[in-house]
Amino acid sequence: MSVAFSELRQKADAEWLSLTAGDKPWVRVGLGTSGEAAGAEEAFHAITESLGLDANVTLVGSMGLCYAEPLIDVQLPGGARVFYANLGADEVADVVGGHIKSGRANADRAFAWHGDERPEGLGAVTRLSELPTVRVQTRLATKLAGDIDPRDLSQYIANGGYSALEKALEDMDPAGVLDEVKNSGLRGRGGAAFPTGVKWGFLAPNPEPVKYILCNCEEGDPGAFNDKGILESCPHTLLEGLILAGYATNSSNGFIFIRQGHTLPIENSRKAVQDAYAAGLLGQNILGSDFSYDVEIALTGDSYVAGEETALMEAIEGKRSMPRYRPPFPAAAGLWGKPSNINNVKTLAYAPTIIQNGADAFKSVGIESTSGTAILCITGAVNRPGMYEIPMGSLTVREVVEDVAGGIKDGKNMKLFQAGGPLFGPIGEEGFDSPIDFDSIAKTTGSLGSGGLIIGDEDVCAVNLTRNLMAFNQFESCGKCFPCRLGMTHMVETLERISQNVGREDDLALMERMGASMRMGSLCGHGQLGYNPVASALKYFEADFRSHMDDKKCPTGACGEGQMVTPSRTRP
Amino acid sequence: MADDTIKLTVDGQEIEAKPGQTIIQAAQDADIYIPYLCYFPGMKPYGACRMCVVSTEAGGRKGVQASCTTPVMADMIVETSSEEVVELRRGITDLLMSEHPHGCLTCHRAELCGPQDICQRHVAVTDRCTICPKNERCELKDTVRFMKLDLTSSLDYHRRDLPIHTDDPFYDRDYNLCIVCVRCVRACDEVRGDSALSMVSRSGVALVGTSHGTSLLESGCEFCGACIDACPTGALVERDYKWEKASTKVKTVCTNCPVGCEFVMDINDINKVVRMTGDLSGEASHGQACFKGKFGYDYPNHVRRLKYPMVRVDGELQRTTWEVALEAASQGLLQHLPEERGVILSPRGTNEDHYVGQKFARTVLGTNNVDTGLNRSAELLAALAAAPGHGAATNPIWGIENSKCVLVVAGNPTEEQNVLAVPVKKAVRAGANLIVIDPRETELTRYATNWLRPRPGTEITLLGGLARVILDEALEDKDFVRDRLDGVDEFKKAIWSFDLMRVSQITGVSEDEIRSAARAYGNGSPASLLHGTDGIVAGDHADLLAAVMNLALMTGNIGCAGGGVYPLYSGANTQGGNDVGAAPNLLPGYRSVSSNSDRDVISSSVGGTYPQRPGKSVRDMVAGDGIKALIVLADGWNPDVAGMTTNGLVNPGFMVVSDAFMSDTASRADVVFPAATYAEVSGTITNLERRVQKVNPGLELRHEEREGWRTLADLANVMGGSGFGYETSSEVFEEIRKVVPDYAGLTHARIEGRGIQSPARDETSNGTGILFSSEERLSVVPMAIREPVSLPNREYPFTLGHGRVLLRPEEDVQVVRDERSMNYIERDTLIEIHPEDAADLDVSEGDRVAINAQQDSSASPLPDFGYVRLSSPHRGFVSVTTLFAEVVTGIQDSGDIDISPSVKGLPLRHVSLAKAPILREAGMAAD
Repeated sequence: MSVAFSELRQKADAEWLSLTAGDKPWVRVGLGTSGEAAGAEEAFHAITESLGLDANVTLVGSMGLCYAEPLIDVQLPGGARVFYANLGADEVADVVGGHIKSGRANADRAFAWHGDERPEGLGAVTRLSELPTVRVQTRLATKLAGDIDPRDLSQYIANGGYSALEKALEDMDPAGVLDEVKNSGLRGRGGAAFPTGVKWGFLAPNPEPVKYILCNCEEGDPGAFNDKGILESCPHTLLEGLILAGYATNSSNGFIFIRQGHTLPIENSRKAVQDAYAAGLLGQNILGSDFSYDVEIALTGDSYVAGEETALMEAIEGKRSMPRYRPPFPAAAGLWGKPSNINNVKTLAYAPTIIQNGADAFKSVGIESTSGTAILCITGAVNRPGMYEIPMGSLTVREVVEDVAGGIKDGKNMKLFQAGGPLFGPIGEEGFDSPIDFDSIAKTTGSLGSGGLIIGDEDVCAVNLTRNLMAFNQFESCGKCFPCRLGMTHMVETLERISQNVGREDDLALMERMGASMRMGSLCGHGQLGYNPVASALKYFEADFRSHMDDKKCPTGACGEGQMVTPSRTRP
Repeated sequence: MADDTIKLTVDGQEIEAKPGQTIIQAAQDADIYIPYLCYFPGMKPYGACRMCVVSTEAGGRKGVQASCTTPVMADMIVETSSEEVVELRRGITDLLMSEHPHGCLTCHRAELCGPQDICQRHVAVTDRCTICPKNERCELKDTVRFMKLDLTSSLDYHRRDLPIHTDDPFYDRDYNLCIVCVRCVRACDEVRGDSALSMVSRSGVALVGTSHGTSLLESGCEFCGACIDACPTGALVERDYKWEKASTKVKTVCTNCPVGCEFVMDINDINKVVRMTGDLSGEASHGQACFKGKFGYDYPNHVRRLKYPMVRVDGELQRTTWEVALEAASQGLLQHLPEERGVILSPRGTNEDHYVGQKFARTVLGTNNVDTGLNRSAELLAALAAAPGHGAATNPIWGIENSKCVLVVAGNPTEEQNVLAVPVKKAVRAGANLIVIDPRETELTRYATNWLRPRPGTEITLLGGLARVILDEALEDKDFVRDRLDGVDEFKKAIWSFDLMRVSQITGVSEDEIRSAARAYGNGSPASLLHGTDGIVAGDHADLLAAVMNLALMTGNIGCAGGGVYPLYSGANTQGGNDVGAAPNLLPGYRSVSSNSDRDVISSSVGGTYPQRPGKSVRDMVAGDGIKALIVLADGWNPDVAGMTTNGLVNPGFMVVSDAFMSDTASRADVVFPAATYAEVSGTITNLERRVQKVNPGLELRHEEREGWRTLADLANVMGGSGFGYETSSEVFEEIRKVVPDYAGLTHARIEGRGIQSPARDETSNGTGILFSSEERLSVVPMAIREPVSLPNREYPFTLGHGRVLLRPEEDVQVVRDERSMNYIERDTLIEIHPEDAADLDVSEGDRVAINAQQDSSASPLPDFGYVRLSSPHRGFVSVTTLFAEVVTGIQDSGDIDISPSVKGLPLRHVSLAKAPILREAGMAAD
């Protein structure tokens, strides 16, 4: 171990020990964007300010158990963590304060516990790892989510952080790191599922001195929040992965590209980069090695298409974020004309565990065709929405909905799921038993994409959902290539007509024809995939369309008759 | 060569392509048409319209690709009209037509109807093609027809109903017709480097517009028209002659400045020139233009054209016949002694005009008093005669694109030689350093990496300072200096007198700035150097030329691609005028009038007796220096704008003027001949890169107008001259070839189309792009540091540098509408004053001062007031910067028929300043 790193490690271990087994209790309040929405911040202030406790109180990231938020846990020195779910600011004095003052957990409010020994009086309370939402998980990229303060480098290091980087720099050459990633079978988690090692392999041999690794956290898909989740709960996992990618490909610079407005991820990654520089984990001669690497945070305004890899480069260059044509491909001429590689946050966040534990360990999770985990973001009509990291192929959609997410709200039936972002459509019953991995979901009309999974119950009208998806896609078209700019507009207007029962007989054929032009003619994936939602909806839910067109009524009433929503940004 | 061609098959035909070409380029070179809308030759591919899609098969992979962005690959098989791509194009075009008015495209009468015809199909007026100004030239229409669309798509048609922008000068913007191909934005940004246009919004509402949604006046638009020429539809069109159709198109060359931009001139069926479009195949301009060429072309159409000859009878000019007028001119001229006669030739005149002009002056009038009508001093002419290459640009215009450094001294090319600045901006964008030496703020200073603002009149000393640093730091090109240069020792010795501290004191430019600029130039090879004479007194012109050449030679920037020196002339054909001997000291082919043998060569070749004594320059002639009889070919000549004192013209003893209009000059003449204009003549002009270009007539002469050379030849014949029996300009040119060796290889036929850069000494020669690229020896000449001369002027104690730029974000600009709803700029001017001068004037930052300027009819108007900024670098020097938009609105207001010669320059001014009350807050416009 390098001297520089062992010093970091010692300091980190000491700090961690004093937090977990020092003289004060440790209260951790989960604060991701979901926690914030649930009132975690108010709860945190209530604890720190009004109670005036003799305790360490820390904001940690979200564990992904969004349904349980605000999720707060109390750990008495050396003891187990006791979790309280849905704990609002009005209850913290009573529950957290009571726990600390009495030294006994509040058995009525306790949600779960975590540790070596069951705390006294919690006989009926489940162990955290036994929760239905947790027991199915294998947390690789989100391992420390909810455990550590995302803004504290030491807490990350104390829990094994940067050991992979240290191992790579000490014991491996760049080719070795690249091979390890290649052997791990890691596939890109942005949606395209391209083998990451192969992608890095395009960049590695390029002798150009300036090469870029770009990390894409545009994450504009409605219903996807795992990239943000990682940056909110443990940004150093990503940063370590980004540095490893730089090392493996002999790159000079990294960029973390985040959409303006993702406030917590931006703040956390800025702090992470700053701290990493201060600790010698970035910059010249990292940890005393020959490897130098710089990382910057780059932002863009509201633009979904800015997440397209070449549009992203335009955005970083300060231009209007519109996709470029290819060739040249980014690996040859990307950002500022230099060789570049673009990876999703999740993809890079796996790199540390692959290097730390080896390619085989990573491959042992998941299935043959896709190793590792799927970090699912389940939203919609389920009882337990949240972010769950499960092994690839381990569960079907139905199992996830029923067993993990607690089934459909109010005892209703599941009608559809929608996965892979707004460029994919709703999938019906026939797809429910599809295992969750790239290739299986792709056999339906959907895509695992980046892991967003929206569940619809029987009240959802497929026409309305499709209209919504297309309205998003239309609004987010960059306006550059003609098929997408014009096709999306007509498509959303046609769907609007149908949803209002004034569709025309040839509307379905019209959409199909426009869809063909978009698929074949568009410059980037946004337009090429733009007809997918309609095609998918027509495949599984043609009856909903027929009801609107033939019977002039919405099958579920969701379309709100006579409430034509005139989409904005249709025509100048 | 054969090795790097790529063979591919397009529609079953095997074609050859160059590496790096895209499919569409290779197909076009092989005359295979692939429809396109957003692609535009000369700009980077964009890949938006998807109209150029083709089926490809390469390396076993089939696909549908946009041919504008896909590079050719060996053995690629391309189908340009396979079923799948035809269907795809149709689908996309249907979408496109759903928001583009196209009512007439489905009508069998489309070719028969005019804008005013009644439509029996009830197609809304705004949806008809026949009322579109681009009806005949619409690329979208051509594309739709190529695809044989039936336009029966069930997509709803939506008209945008956007307001049409007609409130800016020169052109209309109707975004209802825009297809968002973004060619205009790319032309403005990528080609012109201006970025006045931009894309606006996104998704379905995406459109193009000005960069900040402002009027064109505020946007930084230079009104070059590049966007109009690129627009495939009627969205951007010239306002004048908006709906006029061309019945003939003629390739010709603009005669407004020495760049010699090639244009396609549209002539309508009633003999009017109605449009000028940059010729993309043009070697000098690459299809670019400026506001003068693009919008200042239509004076030949004007009703006030002079139609008949006139002679002065009882103090009044009266119509007469050519015979009478020629006789009157002859009689008048003969009443004066040869040395009292002079000939002034139009700066727009052709080589033929200039040649016949000098021959007439010398062999008929018996004088060397002949010159081209610019502000040229005897000193400058002598220096040009002595300079290597006689002061011509050593390199081609577009060679500047490849320069690593560009130095511009005492010139304002963006205004005076506009298209020359395009490759300068391109080079800067590609990473070249740009050094501007000018006390004024010009458009190029905005792009400059080094802007040196010497005290006016110290430019030569500053150039010497640069040379000193280059020698001190051993930045000279040692091989070039050793192998090619003479006089180096004397030069070096002289340069030691340029002590940098002293240079800095004299010029007011810091030593660091001098060093930094010298390093940029010395390390920036190949470096080009553009030199004008703005703000340099006539007596210094020779020294300036020497200083410029010294710098270029010492750094080895002569004779190499991307290097060179470029003189910034003002007249369109100054170069040609010099080449063919229209100068008081030079005979055709740069022979000296003083040399007996030189005169013999000419007279034995073309006959006639050539006088020996050098003549007077135009400057001396118009000053009335002993001249009593003048002949002036005045087309577009404005002695005021050239900054000349015109006593000679106010009361010449006898004056003959050939002009297209009753100009000030013509109205003072005793005999007036009606002149043909550029649009009516056939001939040649030579641009600043020595390209001899063909001017072609598009208009027929309507009345009794004659070309300049013909007028002079006719007069010569009346006066008993011999050797003036020319029938056509090409006969004149044949004679020029005999006496100008550099033109010996040229004929009118050879230069048609692209022109050839002289020297071209025999008919096998394709001309000379770069001068001095062989091993000939050149000389550097010693130069001396000079103390500034300041002439105290009590009444106007300050020298004012009047700058002009396209944009000045640091000053508030307001646009107001006048009663005709046209946009005008209203703004507060900042005046830069040295802090010590400000103290003397008792003013401080933000105070308002009245600016009172000495009369100068050659100068652009100055604001009456300015708000003080204590940032002038020199005592006694103040500066203001106005906006180019004000020039444009000024033209709009002036009512001038021929706008280009009336655009005034930016000479140094003498002004007095006085503290003035603040009427309103600085930065706030008036109510």
